[in-house]
Amino acid sequence: MNFQRIPVLQLGPYLLVTIQGTLDDRTALTLQEDLTKKVEKTGARGVLIDISGLDLVDSFVGRMLYTVTAVMKIMDTETVVVGMQPAVAMTLVELGLTLKGALTAMNVDKGMELLRRRLRDGTPDFTAR
Amino acid sequence: MTDFDALTPVIHVWDGVLAVPIVGTLDSARSQVVMEKLLVGLVKSGCTVAILDISGVPTVDTEVALNLLKTVDAARLMGAECIISGIRPEIAQTMVNLGIDLKEVKTRASMARALEEALTTLGLKVVPTSEVTPT
Repeated sequence: MNFQRIPVLQLGPYLLVTIQGTLDDRTALTLQEDLTKKVEKTGARGVLIDISGLDLVDSFVGRMLYTVTAVMKIMDTETVVVGMQPAVAMTLVELGLTLKGALTAMNVDKGMELLRRRLRDGTPDFTAR
Repeated sequence: MTDFDALTPVIHVWDGVLAVPIVGTLDSARSQVVMEKLLVGLVKSGCTVAILDISGVPTVDTEVALNLLKTVDAARLMGAECIISGIRPEIAQTMVNLGIDLKEVKTRASMARALEEALTTLGLKVVPTSEVTPT
């Protein structure tokens, strides 16, 4: 039962999650649960998932990212996946997990700006792709 | 691999815009190198738009075409956008005949048009100096 718990930080109307190193299945599932609970509790409008420190992904984590975005969407919260490394992006594409519909940004700064713009415009953006 | 390296420059053409012109035969190995160089270039430069110009490529096969699509998807995952420019008529026909779906990919006829599109994406516009009101 040795697994880490990834902190979910609140930044105004947004939540920030930073994933470092590698993510095992159990930690990923716990994070998914923590995140949904926190969104319900805080009524956050957007979630930033910073994976710039994530250097390896498998299909499980890829699916987790996809599930989180889909769940958040149902809960009326925008999700931005931020800072994906080239190697991770290539792996996900090879696995066919292109996260269609998820918002992405190069870094937390740009992700935050994207969220602000989306929420200001009031366009619920999950562009049907 | 090193040959491909020298033949595939990643050029910073504008603030926030990278261009990767490809000249010569593009096989699956080279298209893989192109993908890596483009993605790493995006991270290094912090650019959010990349233009992949294939006007110097005579033909593509299925694998290469799919690799181009993968490059576009991977760039999007990283929070950037990849525009493919200069697709020759033969390549366009090949791609459609192979059943490769380019609907979700931004394609532009030339590098110039792709750059214009890139600037629009960044919220920029190039205007003649005569139209700029002096301050």
